[in-house]
Amino acid sequence: MSDAIEAALQATPAIEIKDVWRTFQRLDGSAPFTALQDIRLDVRAGTFVAIIGGSGCGKSTLLRIIAGLVPPSRGTVLHEGKPVHGPHHSRGFVFQGDAVFPWLTVRRNIEFGLQCRGIPAAERKRTAETWAAAVGLADFIEAFPKELSGGMRKRVDLARVYANDPDVLLMDEPFGALDAQTKERMQVELLGLWDRTRKTVLFVTHDVDEAVFLADEIVVMAARPGRIAERIKVPLPRPRDERSRVSDAFEETRRRLRKLLEDLAPATTPAR
Amino acid sequence: MTRPTDDMNGGAPSRRARWLAKYGLGFLTIAVIIGVYWLYTLQPQANRTLTPPPPKVVAAFVAAIADGSLFVNIGWSLYRVVIGFAIGTLLAVLMGCTAGWFRYAGYVLNPIIEAIRPIPALAYIPLIIVWVGIDEPARILIIVLAVFKPTVVNTRQGMQEVPRIYVEAAEALGASRMTTFWRVGFPNAIPYIVSGMRNGLAAGFLALVAAELIASSNGLGFLISNAGQNLQIDVVLMGIVVIGVVATLLDAIAVRAQAYLTRWSEVRQS
Ligand SMILES: Nc1ncnc2c1ncn2[C@@H]1O[C@H](COP(=O)(O)OP(=O)(O)OP(=O)(O)O)[C@@H](O)[C@H]1O
Ligand SMILES: [Mg+2]
Repeated sequence: MSDAIEAALQATPAIEIKDVWRTFQRLDGSAPFTALQDIRLDVRAGTFVAIIGGSGCGKSTLLRIIAGLVPPSRGTVLHEGKPVHGPHHSRGFVFQGDAVFPWLTVRRNIEFGLQCRGIPAAERKRTAETWAAAVGLADFIEAFPKELSGGMRKRVDLARVYANDPDVLLMDEPFGALDAQTKERMQVELLGLWDRTRKTVLFVTHDVDEAVFLADEIVVMAARPGRIAERIKVPLPRPRDERSRVSDAFEETRRRLRKLLEDLAPATTPAR
Repeated sequence: MTRPTDDMNGGAPSRRARWLAKYGLGFLTIAVIIGVYWLYTLQPQANRTLTPPPPKVVAAFVAAIADGSLFVNIGWSLYRVVIGFAIGTLLAVLMGCTAGWFRYAGYVLNPIIEAIRPIPALAYIPLIIVWVGIDEPARILIIVLAVFKPTVVNTRQGMQEVPRIYVEAAEALGASRMTTFWRVGFPNAIPYIVSGMRNGLAAGFLALVAAELIASSNGLGFLISNAGQNLQIDVVLMGIVVIGVVATLLDAIAVRAQAYLTRWSEVRQS
């Protein structure tokens, strides 16, 4: 392979969002609702990008379009230069809600994607055990989800997606339903996993601290119509740990982000 | 949702006490009914043939065991129920899964399901006699129809009510359409299917007795109708009790199977 081609490959972003629009028909028959307007975004391989914005600004819709779970009304999404048509195991998705299959044990949940791809049983078993241990659920590997707490189920979900070894991780407020302590612990665990694998991550949240603590870059979205308002870099050094949360850089970025979101707020809430 | 579904013992009676209450009270109910009936048969004006006292019923039971006829009849009835239940369930699950999951298959199959739904299986008996005859296939077909109905309706509903998030999660993990069908739609429908099967078993047993009442030379339904024609009311009563006991035992097995197959479910089973 020539150096030029290699350089070109290096330059191809992992995810390219090209002029994506998404409208929804309204049930009352009035004019279609624009959930996403002209979204353009490139994400370089190995970056951790957080997407933040008020409720209803289209974060989930954008993530679902990238995953291929819903088609855009206009525009395209490229993954490693190839257009996205439908979901694919190379783009793992962690849902806002509880998506762990209740009828499968922890082990069989983690093995699900591997099984879909025809990976032999012995290897599946090894991988499932590795990832169950990585998320601290080694002792619960034969348990059913109903025997686990909400935070433990979220970890099963993470292990299941990680075990499938995707190139890109799409995470839709994965920790939104957790209490503050569990959430902070899961964030540290997630960064630990990310440091080891350096996958491309798009992480939706509406928690400012979470976005700053996790991301290299933060995409700020505004509502009505849903659009990208701002992109900011997070100057926090890696690897990050609990001390990063009290650094000046953290405080500074946090203040900036809060200000941005406040300025956007009138547009993100319905007229009073 | 992490609400415990069982073994909540805070302040509640212990399992043992509950078990005693459940079976003790049930037993008491039956004892009272038999006792009242027994008292009535002891009245001087009571007819010993039309209302035989319980010891006569027990004697009929002992006689039927002694000559082996009871086992033969139970055997025939069980054979029919098991075959009919197996065929009916298989058809219902295949059809319900397909109709509930694939849109166009639903368009094709739903009219069949909807047409069968409001009609009791017993209403088909005259047709079956004319078209199929009065032999073994006819009797089994009635049971198949009776079992099929509740199971197909439940199975279809279970497939339709799969939460979208599970389907999307499977697809994002790389599942094909068929994999999603078998490994998401089907397991999600299991609690519905199993409860449909339980209703199907009860309906099948009901239909069996009816089928054997009409045209048969063996089985528990035949035992009753034959004894009735000969005015052996003690045998009729004995047959009814035996049917009740056999059906209860079958349902007890079904309950066990249900508890096992839905052990993962957060929905509390009755
Ligand atoms: N299937 C749909 N049909 C109609 N409208 C939809 C649909 N999905 C989303 N929308 C609309 O699109 C907008 C964006 O929704 P989306 O779920 O992407 O928001 P979000 O940014 O993820 O919000 P939250 O932070 O509350 O999760 C909302 O106004 C919603 O009403
Ligand atoms: Mg959302």
